[in-house]
Amino acid sequence: MNSDRFRPRDLGPIVLVVAFVFASVAPLLWLALAAFKPTADIIAIPPVWIPDFTYLENFRDVLTEFWPFIVNSLIATVGATILALALAVPAAFALVNHSFRGRDALADWILSTRMMPPIAAAVPLFVIFRGAGLLDSLPGLIIAYAGFNLPFAVWMTMSFIRRVPKELIEAARLEGCTWWQVLKDVVLPLSKSGLAAVATFVFIFAWNEFMLALFLTTREAKTFPVVISSFVGTGRVYWEYIAAASVIQCLPPVLFTFFMQKHIVSGVTMGAVKD
Amino acid sequence: MTKAAMRAGRPRQAPRRAFIHNDRFQMTAFIVPTCIFLALLTIWPFVYSVYLSLHAVKLTAMKRAVFVGAGNYVNLLGDPLFLRAMLNTGLLAVTSITCEIVIAFVIAKAFVSLSHLKWVNGLRSLFMLPMMVTPLVVGMIFSYVFNPILGIANYLLGGVGLGPVPWFGGTTAAMISILLINVWQWTPFMMLLIMAGLLSIRSDLYEAARVDGAKWHHVLTMLEIPSIKGIVLLGIILRIIDTLRFFDVVYVTTRGGPGDSTMVLTLYAYQQNFQFFQAGVGSAAAVMILVISIVITTFAVRLLRRIENE
Repeated sequence: MNSDRFRPRDLGPIVLVVAFVFASVAPLLWLALAAFKPTADIIAIPPVWIPDFTYLENFRDVLTEFWPFIVNSLIATVGATILALALAVPAAFALVNHSFRGRDALADWILSTRMMPPIAAAVPLFVIFRGAGLLDSLPGLIIAYAGFNLPFAVWMTMSFIRRVPKELIEAARLEGCTWWQVLKDVVLPLSKSGLAAVATFVFIFAWNEFMLALFLTTREAKTFPVVISSFVGTGRVYWEYIAAASVIQCLPPVLFTFFMQKHIVSGVTMGAVKD
Repeated sequence: MTKAAMRAGRPRQAPRRAFIHNDRFQMTAFIVPTCIFLALLTIWPFVYSVYLSLHAVKLTAMKRAVFVGAGNYVNLLGDPLFLRAMLNTGLLAVTSITCEIVIAFVIAKAFVSLSHLKWVNGLRSLFMLPMMVTPLVVGMIFSYVFNPILGIANYLLGGVGLGPVPWFGGTTAAMISILLINVWQWTPFMMLLIMAGLLSIRSDLYEAARVDGAKWHHVLTMLEIPSIKGIVLLGIILRIIDTLRFFDVVYVTTRGGPGDSTMVLTLYAYQQNFQFFQAGVGSAAAVMILVISIVITTFAVRLLRRIENE
């Protein structure tokens, strides 16, 4: 049972798994391959299966023309991640370590805001942002993204902070540490890897976001997904650019999927299920 | 760990001269900013949306709002396009989540039975890729694969004498294509949850079932389903919430078409608000989406607490 060798009865599951993994990856791969094809190869029938991987014109064109929007995406995403964590970590710490009346109700309320569909906040957000001059600005996007990811960040952080042994916190308190010192010197060092996972998830959610950016930005602060969506319009569709841009857009989430495998289950359940 | 503990244990000169060092004050300061932020982003928009939904108002001229009472809601419920969006969203939720659970269970079982093989872990990461990919890009991928002229899907089907399938071109086909995309993207999510549930079953329970001569369907109904019930329910709730905000993929593939065949709730509200600038009608739609979400969320929060306490 514990041997890591192949057994004859594994054959069925292996065939099944390989078939489904192929179905998962093939569509992604097919668009990624198009990024290395000149226009003629993209519309060729029969299809060009294996492109010339040294053909990088599409990437060069996309990067030179749309670089500012990739930078916008990066700034909005990193900014939102930092802001969300700066707010979420102390809040999660207080919710775990400070008992006060209505604590559970408060935690539940924070969680329930995660379930709110962004479209329900769309017009009010648009109106405030228009009034405050935050439309089409990166600070505006950072605030919106941090806000929508805050409930998730608080809950997942709480699940990591709960794992810090209570005795350590009590000991530090007995030594006369203030709560701020407990947070800074005991809890943070002990939940570093968990917090890294929280940050990664917030980063990916913000990086993948599309609808808010679509109506909150128009020109200056447009994010990369909004730019990609504008490649499909009336007339000729530039599949080679769509493909190259999509590869660039998907690079961070795909890399993170491999590095974050350990934390993915707790990430998708907001920390409800331990990894 | 020990290092941090020692650092923390070091006696500190705790200067308690100002109220900043007051415990209550610190804890309050930790939590209040988050609450204010969330209230501004959720409670205030909710109140404002309800207010707007009771008025005839254009996004381009917010000051000229005329009170119409429940007028927007009445219009909404009489609008075939909105009803279509409700129907499609419900249909999509039911069909895609059902397919996802069934397929995910089979794959999760396969992965669990192969967990002694190291290289299979790598396959699992590959399998999970679709759920991490930017949803907008998912729309692009399938616009390309299902393209009527240069799409690989119809080319391959043609190779075995099938098709051409209209994909996003026909009314029923478009809805099925959207369903397929959803299942493709979110089955890995369900699979992860089900696998976590299956791995939590102690192996001696399987052993005992085998000794007792239990058939596979006994194991399924009496051991496996009870063990994964909670986590699958959580998955269903999160997926329903996702379906209510489903937008990116339809926005790039069909824009709700052909006709109204793939219109969904969030796209409807988005178009009313930001394409036709009908902030009143759009807000009424948004409020209805929100109410549905709140009902589901109430269950979700209780469930999450229960799973957490187990």
